[in-house]
Amino acid sequence: MTTPLESAEPAVAQAAGSSGSTGEDRPAGRGTLRYVASKAGGAVLSIAMVIVGTFFVFRLLPGDPVRNLAQGRRMTPEQLDLERRRLGLDKPMLEQFFDFVGQTLRFDLGTSYEYKRPVLDLIGERIGATLLLTGTGLVIAVSLGIWQGTRAGWRHGSRFDRVSTGVSLLLWSVPTFWLGLLLMMTFGVGIGPIPGILPFRGIESVDAPDGFGYLLDVAAHMALPCLTLVAVVYAQYLLVMRSSLLEEVSQDYVNVARAKGLRDDEVRRRHAVPNALLPTVTLVFMRIGFIVGGAVTVEYIFTWPGLGQLFYEAIKVPDFTLMQGTFMLITMSVIIMNTLADVVYHVLDPRVRSA
Amino acid sequence: MRKWFARLAVLGVALLVAGQGQVALAQEPGAGKKVLRVGATQAVDSMNPFLAVRIVSTQVHRWMYGFLTVPDSKTLQPSPDLAESWTASDDGLTWTFKIRQTNWSDGKPVTAEDAAWTFNKIMTDDAAKTANGPAVENFESVTANGQDLVIKLKAPQASMLDNPIPIMPKHAWEGVTDLANFDGDKYPSVSSGPYIATEHKKDQYIKLKANPSYWRGAPKIDELQVIFYDNPQAAIAGLKKGDIDLIGRLNPPEFEAMKGDPNIEQWDTQGRRAAYLQINHGATTTDNKPVGDGHPALKDVKVRQALHHAIDKQKLVDEVWGGLARPADGSIVPPMFKDFFWEATGDTKVTHDVAKANQILDDAGYKKGSDGVRTMPDGKRKLEFRFTIHTDTPIEDKLAEYLAGFFKEIGITLTTVKLDSSKFSDETGVAATFDIAISGWSVNPDPEEILATHLCSRRPTPAGEGGGTESFYCDPTFEKLYQEQLKELDRTKRAGIIKQMLERLYTDAPVIAIYYPNNLEGYRKDRVTAITPIPEEKGLLYGGSSYWPFYTVDVAASSTGGSGGTDGGGSNTGLIAGVVGGVVVLGLAAFLLTRRRRSAADDRE
Repeated sequence: MTTPLESAEPAVAQAAGSSGSTGEDRPAGRGTLRYVASKAGGAVLSIAMVIVGTFFVFRLLPGDPVRNLAQGRRMTPEQLDLERRRLGLDKPMLEQFFDFVGQTLRFDLGTSYEYKRPVLDLIGERIGATLLLTGTGLVIAVSLGIWQGTRAGWRHGSRFDRVSTGVSLLLWSVPTFWLGLLLMMTFGVGIGPIPGILPFRGIESVDAPDGFGYLLDVAAHMALPCLTLVAVVYAQYLLVMRSSLLEEVSQDYVNVARAKGLRDDEVRRRHAVPNALLPTVTLVFMRIGFIVGGAVTVEYIFTWPGLGQLFYEAIKVPDFTLMQGTFMLITMSVIIMNTLADVVYHVLDPRVRSA
Repeated sequence: MRKWFARLAVLGVALLVAGQGQVALAQEPGAGKKVLRVGATQAVDSMNPFLAVRIVSTQVHRWMYGFLTVPDSKTLQPSPDLAESWTASDDGLTWTFKIRQTNWSDGKPVTAEDAAWTFNKIMTDDAAKTANGPAVENFESVTANGQDLVIKLKAPQASMLDNPIPIMPKHAWEGVTDLANFDGDKYPSVSSGPYIATEHKKDQYIKLKANPSYWRGAPKIDELQVIFYDNPQAAIAGLKKGDIDLIGRLNPPEFEAMKGDPNIEQWDTQGRRAAYLQINHGATTTDNKPVGDGHPALKDVKVRQALHHAIDKQKLVDEVWGGLARPADGSIVPPMFKDFFWEATGDTKVTHDVAKANQILDDAGYKKGSDGVRTMPDGKRKLEFRFTIHTDTPIEDKLAEYLAGFFKEIGITLTTVKLDSSKFSDETGVAATFDIAISGWSVNPDPEEILATHLCSRRPTPAGEGGGTESFYCDPTFEKLYQEQLKELDRTKRAGIIKQMLERLYTDAPVIAIYYPNNLEGYRKDRVTAITPIPEEKGLLYGGSSYWPFYTVDVAASSTGGSGGTDGGGSNTGLIAGVVGGVVVLGLAAFLLTRRRRSAADDRE
């Protein structure tokens, strides 16, 4: 989870070499443009490698896709041949490869073996649910993490610090599956006199009402998966925020601000926190890449109809085109978000640009 | 910190109050409607019956569409469904089915033309072959004449009456040009079975309403819902909470988890499955060339029989399955199918007898070495076998442990090899790179398919194409009997031949049946007021591959039941839960904001 800081390093190195930038005065100067261009170039190269890699990795996996498709059913040799031709598996490998690259460039991720529908359609059906769940989860986890991390770091060693750091670390180390089931049993099914009130399956009720009632229905279905997600991931924001704030607190400028007689609260909000936020912002961007992939475990526990669930289904079958498609989508979004994180870091932190 | 606790406490009270309120307010708009909610832990692959292969999908299609015949609810013998009656010519090559005078759910009459179109479609359209291609492989031609459907066969086929193909409405489906990419998701469906699908949200739920013009009469309930869960734990939690009313296809741990709940009836019956060990007794391809790397000792039928004697099946049932299975003394057709079930008795019966197993191996020249492990008579190779199981099936791990223990007692070492399902089917079904492997099938009322997995023609082709073999068996006696039973249209006589085939498998031991796992299901006693299993005497509910239980089912009207079910429940319950959920999410955000302000204020003071 320390990758954001590592990935920010090349940014520092590169910016150090660039000249002519005078910090905040020229936020989008030529140096920045060149920097963005080189980062974007790197990202395009990575994506190309992902496309090539995906093709070969998924063909190295054991098992014959056509026979997997049969799932133990009886298929005549003619039927197997037919399927093989339908999936284009009868062509030479090189031809398959060029077909694959061509299709991918046209945003055609192929047809799922299992669902017999275009992978892109299946992804399209699921991506909304995933973004809703992981997006909300991310917003809550980030706010909670930053807020608690700030408080904990500012009052380093206090009871609040010890308790919140301890709790978050505990939740982080708890297996997601176990925590999810625990929450399901407690708030979903109910324990003893406490009735279970929150739904724990899917994104909506089977007989969901229309209009505003529907929104509430979805909110209710979101509560438990969201809580699980937040509980597990918010610790990283807390810890990064806490440690970077601690670093800032010992800086001279904080002492200067205090010496000027500024209120403690103001020193924290105006001086220390903005500087300490940088690594956290990078971390957030990194995470956005991952939220597209969703939280496979959380979606699996709560039958959330998102990409994670789709990926899980694909692995279970195994449905190679579907795995391939979701895998590529997730990898690409991580690459793009990493690139954005680099750029944002570059823009946000004057020290990186003008060092 | 105290403020934290206070807030948590307030939240807890709010949840409690909301919960109580919910029970009081659970008045639903559709009150009086009878809805049965069935939990499923497998996702539907397609709603197009030409493409769908998963059990859950074919099950739903059995509720929606009529078939030529359906297993009788008492005897499991083929009985009239869309075909009222049928005759076969003396040579067994021409079958005439009289199609029932009834209507599709859109009011159009059901004719033999619909059935002929369905079969011809599968025979001629490659995409339509996907699900049930082999079922029409032996069809020469299918024609319709009024209500008469005439099927001409290439060769006699006694299992004709167990045809697995749903009859589709020609007028609604003939316009589909690209069948391979058609998901069949047009609702309401045009059906002739007891239910009409009205809504389907992928991996979420399917809604089916009772078909008022069903030829047997409309089902007793108004709506049947299939509700999907990704994981079985959540499904059991859903049953306990009352979100669903019935669930089938459970594993022992989930089944045990229902224990002690006063509202839940645990439904434990004999199952459709047989579990057996497939043994690599010298695998060959269809041109009789050896393939794979099976242990040579297993080619010796004596070794296979010794293994059989060493297995304590009762112990496996008790300790691996927690008693929720029945030991197998014979056939790979489970006892549920009384007509075809065969059990070894007297001298043929292989009993658990370690001394005898050791004796057989001693006599055959497999001598024990100083380490207690036997070697081949030529002294070259030790009797060390691999046991191939699936990675994701804990119960097979347990089985492997017990088998290793049993075989150790007769001087044979067993090591476990775990493979994921695709590699498993490759190594044990085509490449033959295994010694012993776990296997098991769900058997249909007509056992022909399960027997056919032991035919010579099912071995892989020289090119390495899998044909669906069980342990690469190829035996002239078995082949001859198989051909005989195909021609025998007299059920009793045919059953006699099939039993001989089962006996041949038992004595020759290319496979060793070990147990028949029970069919484990559960339902809410407070909701399901009546349900007839298939077969009627303590049979299956969900897992019965028949619409019978879901046709006969009756449930309490939803206003009296559904205690707090938010999923199948009414909009009020959903609304309240929604409010609570919203409050939790919003509350957290608001809480953070106020905390922030307050802490700033604290600092100012």
